[in-house]
Amino acid sequence: MLEIKNLVKVYPGPVAALQGVSLQASRGMFGLLGPNGAGKTTLMRIVAGLLEPTSGVVRLDGEDVGKDPGRIRRQLGYLPQDFGFYPHLTAAAMLRFLLVLKGIKAPHGLKRLTAELLERVNLQDAAKRKVGTYSGGMRQRLGIAQALAGNPRIVVVDEPTAGLDPEERNRFYRLLAELAEDRLVLLSTHIVEDISVLCPRVAVLTGGRVVADTTPGAARARLEGTIFEGAVEKGEMADLADRFEVTQAVLIEGRNRVRVHAADGLPPAGFEPVAPSLEDAYLLLTRNGASANGREPPEAAERAGS
Amino acid sequence: MTSLARCAAVARRELSSALRRPSYWFLFGVLALAAWGFSEGAVTISSGDATAGGERSHITSVFAQTMFQSILITGMGAWFLAIAAGLVLIRDAEHRVGEILHSTRLTAREYAWGSFTGAVLAFLVIWGLFLALSAGFNHVLATGEDVRHIGAFVPGNYLYPALLIGLPQILFFAGVPFLLGAWTRRPIVVFAFPITVVLIVLGFLVSWSPGWLDPAINRALMLVDPSGFRWLNETFLKLDRGMDFYNTAPLPPDTGFLLSRVALAAVGLLAVEGAARNTARRLLRGDTDAVVIGFRESSRKQAPETAEATRPRREGTLAELQMQTRPPGFLTAAAAISRAEIRELIVRPGLYLFIPLILWQSVSQSLFALGPLDSPLLLTSGAMAARQFNTLSLLVSILLLFYTVESLMKERAQRFGEIFRTTPVATGAMVLGKTAGAAMVAGVILAAALVTSWAVIVVRQLLGNPVGFDLWPFLAAWGGVMVPTLLFWTALVTAAFALFRNRYTVYGLGLALLIYTVFKMSVGEPLPWVANWIAWNSMAAWSDMGAFSLHGDALLLNRLLYLSLIPLLLALAMRWFGRQEFDATRILHRLRPRALLGSGVRLLPFAVPPAVLASLLFFGGRAGDQGPGAEEAARNYWRRNVATWTDFRMPSVSHVELDVDLEPSARTASVSGAYTFVNHRDHAYPELPITAGLWAPIEWTLDGEPYEPDDRSGLFVFTPEEPLAPGDSLTVGFRYDLAHPRGLGTRVGGRGQFILDSGVVLTAFAPTFAPVPGYLPGLGVDEDNRYDQREYPDDFFVGETEPALGWGGTPMTTRIRITAPEEYTANSVGRLVSEEVRDGRRTVVWESDQPVRLFNIVAGRYAVEEGRGTAIYYHPEHDYNVEEMSAALDAAREHYSVWFHPFPWERLKLSEFPAYAGYAQGFPTNITFSEGIGFLTRSDPRSHAAFAIVAHEAAHQWWGNILTPGRGPGGNMLSEGMSHYATILLHEEVHGERYRIEFARRIEESYGDNRFVNSERPLVKTDGSRRGDGTVTYDKGGWVMWMLQQEMGRENLLAGLRAFIDAYRSSSDFPVIQDMLAVLREFAPDPEAFDTFSEQWFHDVVAPEYRLSEVTKERAGRGWVVRGAIENAGTGAMTVELAATAGERWFDQGDAGSRTVVSPGYRDSRTSVHVGAGESADFAIETGFDPGRVAVDPDVLVLQLRREAAVFEFPE
Repeated sequence: MLEIKNLVKVYPGPVAALQGVSLQASRGMFGLLGPNGAGKTTLMRIVAGLLEPTSGVVRLDGEDVGKDPGRIRRQLGYLPQDFGFYPHLTAAAMLRFLLVLKGIKAPHGLKRLTAELLERVNLQDAAKRKVGTYSGGMRQRLGIAQALAGNPRIVVVDEPTAGLDPEERNRFYRLLAELAEDRLVLLSTHIVEDISVLCPRVAVLTGGRVVADTTPGAARARLEGTIFEGAVEKGEMADLADRFEVTQAVLIEGRNRVRVHAADGLPPAGFEPVAPSLEDAYLLLTRNGASANGREPPEAAERAGS
Repeated sequence: MTSLARCAAVARRELSSALRRPSYWFLFGVLALAAWGFSEGAVTISSGDATAGGERSHITSVFAQTMFQSILITGMGAWFLAIAAGLVLIRDAEHRVGEILHSTRLTAREYAWGSFTGAVLAFLVIWGLFLALSAGFNHVLATGEDVRHIGAFVPGNYLYPALLIGLPQILFFAGVPFLLGAWTRRPIVVFAFPITVVLIVLGFLVSWSPGWLDPAINRALMLVDPSGFRWLNETFLKLDRGMDFYNTAPLPPDTGFLLSRVALAAVGLLAVEGAARNTARRLLRGDTDAVVIGFRESSRKQAPETAEATRPRREGTLAELQMQTRPPGFLTAAAAISRAEIRELIVRPGLYLFIPLILWQSVSQSLFALGPLDSPLLLTSGAMAARQFNTLSLLVSILLLFYTVESLMKERAQRFGEIFRTTPVATGAMVLGKTAGAAMVAGVILAAALVTSWAVIVVRQLLGNPVGFDLWPFLAAWGGVMVPTLLFWTALVTAAFALFRNRYTVYGLGLALLIYTVFKMSVGEPLPWVANWIAWNSMAAWSDMGAFSLHGDALLLNRLLYLSLIPLLLALAMRWFGRQEFDATRILHRLRPRALLGSGVRLLPFAVPPAVLASLLFFGGRAGDQGPGAEEAARNYWRRNVATWTDFRMPSVSHVELDVDLEPSARTASVSGAYTFVNHRDHAYPELPITAGLWAPIEWTLDGEPYEPDDRSGLFVFTPEEPLAPGDSLTVGFRYDLAHPRGLGTRVGGRGQFILDSGVVLTAFAPTFAPVPGYLPGLGVDEDNRYDQREYPDDFFVGETEPALGWGGTPMTTRIRITAPEEYTANSVGRLVSEEVRDGRRTVVWESDQPVRLFNIVAGRYAVEEGRGTAIYYHPEHDYNVEEMSAALDAAREHYSVWFHPFPWERLKLSEFPAYAGYAQGFPTNITFSEGIGFLTRSDPRSHAAFAIVAHEAAHQWWGNILTPGRGPGGNMLSEGMSHYATILLHEEVHGERYRIEFARRIEESYGDNRFVNSERPLVKTDGSRRGDGTVTYDKGGWVMWMLQQEMGRENLLAGLRAFIDAYRSSSDFPVIQDMLAVLREFAPDPEAFDTFSEQWFHDVVAPEYRLSEVTKERAGRGWVVRGAIENAGTGAMTVELAATAGERWFDQGDAGSRTVVSPGYRDSRTSVHVGAGESADFAIETGFDPGRVAVDPDVLVLQLRREAAVFEFPE
């Protein structure tokens, strides 16, 4: 079990990247959603033992990671948001080097394991190319291979699908889902759809605070009967935005197709009720923080008070 | 916005970012210190009068400022310019601003020129501040009492060198790295450029200038030297032109030099244009942000994924792989990291640039090593390993600094750091793996240097050089001494990087430490053993007769100390290693005293061993004979006795009886003996002072009875019951044990005398093993109580004069008994009267067969080469020159006996001693040579260096021993100058005129190069106290006697010298030059001419310098007439020959070492002219042949400056 308690991180400046984050997560895929600058990467780096928090504690199975970062490293698969490799090494050599450093073994030896891992991320034909010649997507897949290698007990992946085409993205998610069956996968992203598909639990961060710790279903359910969709003229948009929270506006054939949130359940004229999406919930949470439409998510409220 | 405005905007951005960089202000700090140091007069042009109160050359002159700026810009500026300019484009690429920048209207050319201009402007700002500070320090702040080195403020003196010497260098040192950075995108290539150039300039171009160098090659080297120093030095400084010249004359560049500076600047600017074009080409290719670590520009080849690469093969699960994880072992992880480092290093081009460079720099130390008389040295494996030691240590340390930092930076630079740091590898394994990879580079370089040294020795062997290869010295010096330095240094750099996590900070600190260390060790008082982390100069006194025999204990402790610091540094490195980014608030908490104390306690186990070793080294050194106790004892000796005993004249010692029991392995001796004093003067002596060493306790006797003299801090004063009356004698006995050297030394450096396992050399000059009669005025004098040289009246030599060397009074007899381990041969003065071996110890007794004035002891494990009444005792592996040296010794004994005085003793010995001292001394019958002198000189036929050195030292049997010169001005010339003169004669006798000319030219050139015009005094006034007195005494002294021989005639002069020796050899009055001239005048065929000559050359300072002009040749009947003018641009008035010549003069006959004769094709016609100072004279020479050249003084009979310029070659 991963327990994050009252985590505060202040960078020189000062910039408060995390302001008392508390979370708990055990087996399964745990999503971290938040806009740019919300503190997701800072939180991931603290969990990975790369960054010392200003205060607060991260515990893995009850033991303070800050006091023994080596403990989490032995059980961690980590894919940072921005990374590179030794450019002069081939992908196979690079991956094998990391397998050695992680102490990974396999019945048929490291060479074969390296080849099979590369196959899992579809790099088998580029295994002997130097990493310096890789495109961004290929490098990302190599990063995924090393993160997933060795049955890590906790996998921390920060924006893992950046640069991947849809097919590779699906392939990666299948691997992640397989891993998440019996361990914790911490997935940070701002692609709401990924979370919606993969994560039974999700926390929303904004401004260094957790504004929601919920499930995608609960987040959607909380908005049931308050999301409406309709079309308005361009000139009516300003007035609509004054009266309702617009969660989506798409210009189609000269008219705006708009989704709005009406907390009181009374839609604008001509609007029809629709099923709420996780994106609606996310946008409302990040826009209004913990008191979106006056309704604080219960899990977040619990953690804020704890 | 115009193109110029965009360019200026880029320049402004670069300037402002450069001026915010700490490294620039570090440079400014160093330059500010240098400016302050210069203003104190720490460095001046070597001209002027160095005595207290004497005039000095100005540091504010255009010459001095040119000298400073040329060296400073090359020595320091080149590094900063290269990094500042060379890394501009690389840094932008690292920051990935290329595409954004070039999506604006900015063109590649504007970008390149703007960036370059900004980088150069930043340096110019710093340089301008330095010049302003220099002027301020020199002219505003330097208002103390001693500002003799400061002249009037002339702004041009600062600005002119900046334009002539500085600007071309700045453009060159910035432009070329700028191109290298733009072209290769490899930081290592940018670093390599200044290192290469600076090493070539400072290690070769500036310093290598043997006398025999062809003037055309010398000129070419002047023009290619980027610093301009060689041109300045060779054209103006090397031959001292006098203080007035340097202080007031302008510094006009000749056309060739001016063009070379323009070319230098043009190379820099063309390089920038090349960089601009390269950048434009990159833009077209779209690889603006590629930074290259290996050989290939990887990102240029970055290709889109191919269809094949993206084709899915199989959907498998991770579970199928059955992976298991167990954190890797420490060594497994370290080895994996180390392998990755090495794989990366071997594809780095820097390695392939650095290794040849380091090898060249290192091996050239031995290839161009020059010994006495500019002769190449015979380098044994030991000498070669030792000579390369400092250079290799320094260069490999610089390389390790770069590689270690870059290795530790690598993950961050390649954005691999987060993945790497989250692996479950122990931090120690990471640090070890990375440092081991960098250390591997050092190993490769040392191995390459070893192979190169082997190759040099083997190739030389194939070319006839007798020295063979031996692995042991390399293993000992490099493996045993240097490797700990490199390991320590790597650990130190690692710890520093772990702490600061900033490559520029660590580079700055590392380079600062290296520069400080080398500066301290090379200038002024060297660092003590405890601080000498790089073991600098620890191999300077290498001896094949016993490596490490002098400083072995101190060096061992020093190496252990720095090895023991490695665990501490690595522990600190692991503690600070950037595995986790610390939080600023928590860092403050960690800096609380209690937290710090806790950290300190945890590190204590690592700190204890170095603390113990440092204490042993520090206190061991202080307790020894270089420690403060010994210094204080010597100072007390001076303080208590200088006023009372300075002018005390001792009675003669008539007999010395000594029994010396040596134990070289323990550095000890037990000494007993007695001196018999005879009062040869006309007054009684109530007291007799004797100086002894720190040998407590000393058992004294007086006339055989135990006696307690008054101990005046080492001066023991005997007061006999009855004063020692004229003609009476008394005997002082003594017994004591001694160690020499005693205890650990405090710092590197040789010793003048020693008892060591490798050899023993002890003299009676100072109380190192035997008491010295009287008070020694020089003992206990240091910087705090140094006083000016005594000034003598003109008639100081009238009456009885004390000896310049050795003990006063009449000569004495000696009986010296020496006991040493059986394998040692022990030599002393006189003849061997008995030798016996008992219980593994050999006892020899040496008795003076004729009286002597000094004695010494030398011992070692020798082989012997017997000659005709001579013998050479040498280290068995140093037999290379023994035959030539033996022949020289035989010839010297034979011919000097005829020319000067019969050799009075039975046998003349020459013994080798370890190179822990670097001199040769000619004690009566017992000459001693350091192994580096003569025995290891590469004695080619041109120099006959071994012959010349032996001839000089052997001459001291006559000029020093048989005739001991008097103390006072000019006295030493009768020893050293006469020995040089004797060497000239012996050269001519044995090798013929060609080699006499060669030797005479070399010592003439030595005089020209080493004299100081403003401090030079006439020979009769030269007392050794001023700069340049050495060359006046030796070189000019020998030359003047050679010219006197032309004046008087050879036989007249030799007859006069024989009479002179006869007159003084047994006297208690010791002669000086005036005494010699008085005797010689009697033998002069033309006393007036003799007076004119001696007035000019002995009583005055003159130096002719001849120039030819308007030289023409024309046919005259069947022959030719050569006409021209000769001018004496120097001083003095001499009759000098002019020769019109055709063909090569000398013809080698068979064996290269044999005499040479005039070649059959050579012809010359001569005339003589007499020209005084500043005078010119026309000349005409009729020849029967077509002359090819005209030479002044073809037989080298008149001492002159710049002889090479007194030649005219007719065009073909």
